[in-house]
Amino acid sequence: MVTVVFRPEEKRVEVPPGTLLSDAARLAGVDILMPCGGQGRCGRCAVVVESGSVRRRSTQRLTPDDIAAGYALACQTLVESDVVVFVPPQERIERRIKETKRAAKIELPFPYDRHDQPLRKFAVTLEPPSLADQTDDWSRLQREMARRYGIRNLQASLPVLRKLPRALREGDWTVTAVVELDAWDRPEGPPRLIDVLPGEHLESLWAVAIDIGTTSNVVWLVDLMRGQVIAQAADYNGQIARGEDVISRIIYASKGNGLQELQELVMGTLNRLIAQVAAEQNIRPDEIYKATVAGNTTMIHLFAGIPPESIRLMPFIPVVNQVPTFPAREIGLGINPEGTVDCLPGIASYVGADITAGVLSSGLCDSDELTLFIDVGTNGEMVLGDCSWLISCACSAGPAFEGAGVVHGMRATAGAIEEVWINPETYEATYKVIGDERPRGICGSGLISLLAEMFITGVVDKSGNINLDLPTKRVRRGEHGPEYVVAWADETATGRDIVITAVDIDNLMRAKAAIYAGFSVLARSVGLTLQDVQRVLIGGAFGQYINVEKAIQIGMLPDMPYDRFHFLGNTSVRGAYYALVSREMRRRVTEVGRMMTYLELSADNTFFDEFNAALFLPHTDLSQFPSVAALVGEG
Amino acid sequence: MPVEIPVEQWPGRVIEETLGATPAEGGTRSRVVKVGGENTLPFMLTDGEMPNPPRIAIEILDQRPKDWSPLLLEAWGDVVDDPAKWAKAAEEAGADLVLLQLSLTRDGGKPTTAADAKALTRAVLQATGLPILVFGPGQVDADNELLVAVAEEAAGERIVLGICEEKNYRTIVAAALANGHLVNGRTAMDVNLAKQLNILIADMGLPLDRIIMDPTTASLGYGIEYGYSVMERLRLAALQGDKMTQLPMLVTPGFEAWRQKEAKVGEGVPASWGDWRQRAVLWETLTATNLILSGADIVVLRHPETVKRVRAFIDRMMAK
Amino acid sequence: MALTGLQIYKLLPQTNCKECGFPTCLAFAMKLAAKQAELSACPYVSEEAKAQLDAASAPPIRLVVVEGPGHKVEAGNETVIFRHEKTFYHPPGLFLRVKDSWPLEQVKGAAKEAMDYIVTYVGMNLHLDGVAVESASGNPEAFAAAVKAVREVTDRPLILMASDPAVLKAGLAAADGTRPLLYAATAENWQAVAEVAKAANVPVAVRADSLDGLADLTEKVKGVGIQDIVLDPGVRDPAGTLVTLTHLRRLALKKNFRPLGFPIITFPGEGASDVIEEAQLAAEHIAKYAGFIVLDRFAPEMAYALLAWRVNIYTNPQEPIKVQPGVYEINNPTADSPVMITTNFSITYFSVANEVDGSGLPGWLLVADAEGMSVLTAWAAGKFDAEKIAKTVKTTGIEEKINHRKLIIPGAVAVLMGEVEEELPGWQILVGPREAVDLPGYLKLWKSF
Repeated sequence: MVTVVFRPEEKRVEVPPGTLLSDAARLAGVDILMPCGGQGRCGRCAVVVESGSVRRRSTQRLTPDDIAAGYALACQTLVESDVVVFVPPQERIERRIKETKRAAKIELPFPYDRHDQPLRKFAVTLEPPSLADQTDDWSRLQREMARRYGIRNLQASLPVLRKLPRALREGDWTVTAVVELDAWDRPEGPPRLIDVLPGEHLESLWAVAIDIGTTSNVVWLVDLMRGQVIAQAADYNGQIARGEDVISRIIYASKGNGLQELQELVMGTLNRLIAQVAAEQNIRPDEIYKATVAGNTTMIHLFAGIPPESIRLMPFIPVVNQVPTFPAREIGLGINPEGTVDCLPGIASYVGADITAGVLSSGLCDSDELTLFIDVGTNGEMVLGDCSWLISCACSAGPAFEGAGVVHGMRATAGAIEEVWINPETYEATYKVIGDERPRGICGSGLISLLAEMFITGVVDKSGNINLDLPTKRVRRGEHGPEYVVAWADETATGRDIVITAVDIDNLMRAKAAIYAGFSVLARSVGLTLQDVQRVLIGGAFGQYINVEKAIQIGMLPDMPYDRFHFLGNTSVRGAYYALVSREMRRRVTEVGRMMTYLELSADNTFFDEFNAALFLPHTDLSQFPSVAALVGEG
Repeated sequence: MPVEIPVEQWPGRVIEETLGATPAEGGTRSRVVKVGGENTLPFMLTDGEMPNPPRIAIEILDQRPKDWSPLLLEAWGDVVDDPAKWAKAAEEAGADLVLLQLSLTRDGGKPTTAADAKALTRAVLQATGLPILVFGPGQVDADNELLVAVAEEAAGERIVLGICEEKNYRTIVAAALANGHLVNGRTAMDVNLAKQLNILIADMGLPLDRIIMDPTTASLGYGIEYGYSVMERLRLAALQGDKMTQLPMLVTPGFEAWRQKEAKVGEGVPASWGDWRQRAVLWETLTATNLILSGADIVVLRHPETVKRVRAFIDRMMAK
Repeated sequence: MALTGLQIYKLLPQTNCKECGFPTCLAFAMKLAAKQAELSACPYVSEEAKAQLDAASAPPIRLVVVEGPGHKVEAGNETVIFRHEKTFYHPPGLFLRVKDSWPLEQVKGAAKEAMDYIVTYVGMNLHLDGVAVESASGNPEAFAAAVKAVREVTDRPLILMASDPAVLKAGLAAADGTRPLLYAATAENWQAVAEVAKAANVPVAVRADSLDGLADLTEKVKGVGIQDIVLDPGVRDPAGTLVTLTHLRRLALKKNFRPLGFPIITFPGEGASDVIEEAQLAAEHIAKYAGFIVLDRFAPEMAYALLAWRVNIYTNPQEPIKVQPGVYEINNPTADSPVMITTNFSITYFSVANEVDGSGLPGWLLVADAEGMSVLTAWAAGKFDAEKIAKTVKTTGIEEKINHRKLIIPGAVAVLMGEVEEELPGWQILVGPREAVDLPGYLKLWKSF
């Protein structure tokens, strides 16, 4: 017999050598969570072996560093001698698991130069007027700007001129001029006075980076004095009520006042978000002087009020791929009305500025490694290439991963189930909720995790059909056909069962199949295979929450070592941010727009074939998923 | 100039399956029929071998057909009123296999019961020594009920139960498992769907050598090229080593050809369609011939003349 | 070996100048790889790249053309062994054989019957391609007379069959104004036959009983300066033909073996004893690699079956096939029967029509011209909207055939219901099931709607 001591409770137990740590813990009365039922799949039962000898049957979920630090999965580890085991608090495990698969911090990958910006603030003190110098206010300011800063031929609009006399006098002839020296489509200027403020206000200069997603909109408030993101806000696109996908929106826009209504709806959302970030910093929205916008082609059209009808009609062309710059007042964007709005360039009707922004911010075009970039969103855009070529397509995944089109789907906010484990013997579910609240629904990452668990444990067959013959009450025939109960009513915030239905599974299967089929077709179109891909960059609203392992299990992401996957969060708003703060980035995104080839999938029969092949768990061709094959015992 | 013959050696092989069981094997068939086993494209005997020629099944119904072409009724005569006699006639007409197609209702509109299905199966088994296939009416609940009864009644006979579909296979596969039968899995004309159903069925524990795949087909002139290419692709995948496609393929050119006007009717069609009798047999014959060329291992036929024609073609193709 | 898009791209200037008419160099490269663009469209391609690309793009099977004043048959230039890999491009010419030993009236009659034959299939008028005239007599005058007789009844291309060069010469003279195929040069007569073919600048078939012999002959005939060659490997039984023609296709495509990179002529009638058997053999040759097929029997039902089969096999699997828009009657519908509408993508149409047909219930199926797209695709692309549905209802004359005003639209486009009601005043719009398989169940309940 050997002795096992469990710290910090200091409980001890005598067991024969070869006993599982988890069994020893049970005998010792130590509670260790095992959501996956002791299969070594979830990593939640990780403990630290502080002394003594053990044998790890499986180290799935553990990194070499973890093992070096003594981590072991209690359900997979046999004691060989007297051992001392530390049972970490659950939160610590959560964090350890999370950190291995998530990363997102907003840092610029290049030095910021606040002097090399088109939008600048200049403090200037004028000689007060006198009878000897009766120069008018405007010429006086122009003269001083030229003399002091070499800014000649400064232009101003009427609304700015109207502000001038008061600003000059209130500031006792010292004012801060907000000047746009040049613009994307006016590289030679002339400089334009956007605002004039009394006194000296050089501590900050505000601008926003905006991403208009079909489902979510994001605003980042940026201080151009420091080049940093100071505040962020996100919300559902107000247009959702008028259609969940771009096609429905385009159709809506073509009817009556539809276009105007959709523009107002998205402007409502954006202006609310702008007001929110402004309020956080105690500033007024009109202190924001510039907006750089990324979004898919349809969203950019609707944002700018351009009729999007042609996007949906053969041969699928947008009105404009790169919208010329315009002042915010022309569309009612709630920043300073004189502030310039820049939209990033798009490629085609279904590969828009959000993708060029993503390519820019992901660094895809800077490397000679063959890279696959995907924006996991409603439209499922993806790009394959390296620094010398880029090819893209859009595969219309639908909004399932964003929580829409699923009965109990929701966005990844507090109350969303974000991870699920199913016990393979009892078919009981355990789950983790964002914010540790009672669950209200299931978010995209939760759905992926749930589908993966249902597949691995046999709750669904490989076609996604729920097996109603299982000996558990959790599978049942519901209102919409077969369903599986993830959380019983008495556990939920809503007081109703949270379920996943056969229809939901169908939508998820289609979404994941569309994405994987897109990968396959892109690779095949240039004569490569997915095995040639060296890096996979994942962007998109919920991309950062995806659990790669689960996403591979359901066949949504290609089966390759986890370290080839990189999560970039919202690459679209990030790209807008980069373009906002750097001339070089604006030059580069223009170049991306020029070199990227667009593959129209509707003209490609191979997509249909690949889609059907991917409409299976994990895939009809299991040899493309060796790790999953091994897991389900078919390797 | 010496030309090197471009022989194609494939790494994969179609599984050889045995239909029917003799008394020695626990059944009552006078002989078994083996299908599949090839490691070459159809009749490319310079590349590999085809241990079994494509087999011919004759489709019989459980009662006098209501909407069959008069040409078919004329060819079979009165036996269509008695499935046992029809089965015997089919054997005499040169079939390798007899396929009993159950109907949803009996004469008078009453639903076919499990007891009916058992009696019909028993009658056919007694009338012919050939291995048989029994297909349900094609409606989920009825198929499940009737085929379970059929499977029990024919326990040990290694019959083929059909048809399994993606949305309805569990009950039928379980019945085949329990009673030692094979199943026929049907999918819409698509390579991936066919393979997926094979996997689903195999996942239930039915050995691959008891699964036949039915990729569905269409008649000459009515989309046959889809079926033709799907079968060619499935067979190429099998030969290239894809285990889950290495199953014999069954198709129903008889059903497909005879539902089209070209075979079915003699009046109200263009004169350019020519002689009805010859056209009808030609339509079924060419549909079957072409599908055999794309990899069919079992063709289900209806007209006895077609059976002769297809048999003659197969014999010539297999001749050394 | 064909190059991939990426391999071609590496040979291009990569400047994305767009002067070729494509948005990027990679897009252009992919079109080149798919043989949907010409390299000459790029003004900046280097000589070295050009040489490499030209070498990779020469057709492995030579295109051979025979023609008469009214019709042309092209064979060869195929790029794949299986049609799903891309498509088969040039359907084999179907010829009927007549012999100069027959009375001229019989020659004429047989040729006329076969050449006048036309059958309509999915909106296409199909017919045979020409006549093969064989010298059974060995007499130049008789042969010329037979060729002349055939030419009086058809202006389609000819195949002139004789072993004596003098006979072929006489036939050629009688076939003046056409570009026939000469059949055949053999080990015995190849020199003289090749001279005749060369003088007349017409293609010539070579026949040998082994591939070795065949390759010898093509090399010799090429040596005389003839490029347009057709192969007869001499097999006549269906098994041998399948194997040999498959070997020939493989040699040309996979081994790039130039001596046998030519279209093939077959004679299914020589291996068959009646119409049906000949049709079986010809069907095999259509699917498996013949370029010219010479039939010995003609019957309308056989011609129809083979012509339809040829269309089927040579349909581009990459392109959707469409059915004719219009109104289709299923199970003898009456004025009370339900009216459904769908799109003209053939798979969509067939699946809907088959389900309704299989249900045994009568119905009117309206097929809208949605450019061959499925319901959802067409809807997304604006080809199956309320306006199109209304137009289909109005133009098909369905309103005269029925005494109700109820239209079932596909469940996948349920959103269109309101708009269709606006476009079709007086009509009640019903939303049918999303999937065709659910139609029979739906139609059973139709009466209660």
